[in-house]
Amino acid sequence: MAKWQQNIRAWIGRYFDLPSDVMLDLPRITTIGSIHVYIENHTGLLHFSEEEIRIQYKRGQVRISGKGLGIKMMLKEELLLEGELKAVEFFPDQ
Amino acid sequence: MRNQYDFYQGMMTIKLKGKLIEPYLQACTRQGCQISHLKRIGDEEVVLTIRLQDWAAVRSLRKKYRCKITIVGGKGVPFLVHRMLRKTSLMIAFAVALILIFVLANTLWSIEVKGLNPELEASVEKRLKSYGVSPGKLTIGMSDPNEIQAKLLDDIPDLLWIGVKKQGTSYHLYGVEKIRHDTDKNTRPSYLVAEKKGMIIRPFIRKGRPLVSVYDIVEKGQPLATGELVEEGEIFVHTEGEVIAETWYKVEQQLPTRHILNLTDGEPKRTYGLKVGSIDLPLWGWWGKDEGTIREENVITDWQIKGWKLPVQWQFAASYKMDPSALEKSKEDLGKMGAETAKRSLKRQLDEDAEILDEKVLHLGEEHGKVKLILLFKVHEDIAETKYISQGD
Repeated sequence: MAKWQQNIRAWIGRYFDLPSDVMLDLPRITTIGSIHVYIENHTGLLHFSEEEIRIQYKRGQVRISGKGLGIKMMLKEELLLEGELKAVEFFPDQ
Repeated sequence: MRNQYDFYQGMMTIKLKGKLIEPYLQACTRQGCQISHLKRIGDEEVVLTIRLQDWAAVRSLRKKYRCKITIVGGKGVPFLVHRMLRKTSLMIAFAVALILIFVLANTLWSIEVKGLNPELEASVEKRLKSYGVSPGKLTIGMSDPNEIQAKLLDDIPDLLWIGVKKQGTSYHLYGVEKIRHDTDKNTRPSYLVAEKKGMIIRPFIRKGRPLVSVYDIVEKGQPLATGELVEEGEIFVHTEGEVIAETWYKVEQQLPTRHILNLTDGEPKRTYGLKVGSIDLPLWGWWGKDEGTIREENVITDWQIKGWKLPVQWQFAASYKMDPSALEKSKEDLGKMGAETAKRSLKRQLDEDAEILDEKVLHLGEEHGKVKLILLFKVHEDIAETKYISQGD
């Protein structure tokens, strides 16, 4: 059922040319060079330290690693990180 | 823009200590908190900034996630105000400054007199000082410019006009001196006529030809002297002089024998209060009831700052108790009294030079509780009135 709903959503998004983050409940991650990361549509902060920040989204986790990371602003579904960014990795749920 | 808004709302920097920091923060944001400047400083310690309005939510959640909160500091207007209110000396200084500004704004700092010669200027300044208007005095309780103007004009006869204007903390006076013209230089042809009926006693014509002599009875409007020096002549001159004549005044009076007088013992009952806007706040002396007839005198102050009337005014009232008492007089007493008052009021009507020679009681009778009094006064006064001859050209 969930799979079928997901397929419908993907099809509607393609058909109407809608941004995929809106349709598919995926996080939108914007980076400015390697100094700022702007994450929207996340569902929770899992871990946070100067080297690593892990964020939960609907269908998995995102890991952002770097040096001297800090959270400049945190709202319900938004995060603004700053620091020296090294990598963004995705771990989707199986 | 966002930063300014947060500054007005107030921001708090706090330190969190605990094992469940991330879920705790997540829970806070779900409650609508805004977290910023989050930084890890230890293994189980973070520093962050929240808005002051979120403080209640953050605090209520700390037990559930077993976190310890330490307040590092606050920034923004609410904290500034709080800190200021705690400094008593500052508050006192503020109040003192306000009072000082009020007092200084209501102090008269300078008086400027223009348009007068030094002598008159000095006398104006001296007069002002005697009214209590001088530099360094409070304008509260000082009479207003119109009153000062009227008083100055009354007290200094050499002033034709004086303008008194209050400009901020100074008085500007602009005076015009009276220039005396010699009115005797009048040379227009004229003659003298009688102002009222009378018997001539002393005609004294300085210029012109007299037409009447002593003991002549003249009617109102009858010529007394003429400017036509020769009968049927061409020359008309200005006529001048005074004609003292005996005139008669009949006075009729009706006086009630019984008088009701309202007396007070002069001991007022005083009440004090504040007037805030249109609301009266009695402060002292409002208790007790007023009995019988009373006479009330109310005073409300007029405090202002730069012409703006303060909403708070002081008011006080004095009420005097009235005691009516009847006064009865005899016919003879009333007759005397009536003659006295009639003489006084007649004197007020007559010229200053006129003199009352004789008074005669023509009738004094009592009927229906009233005394009827008829008096006759014999007066010597100047009845000459100058009439100009219009020269048609």
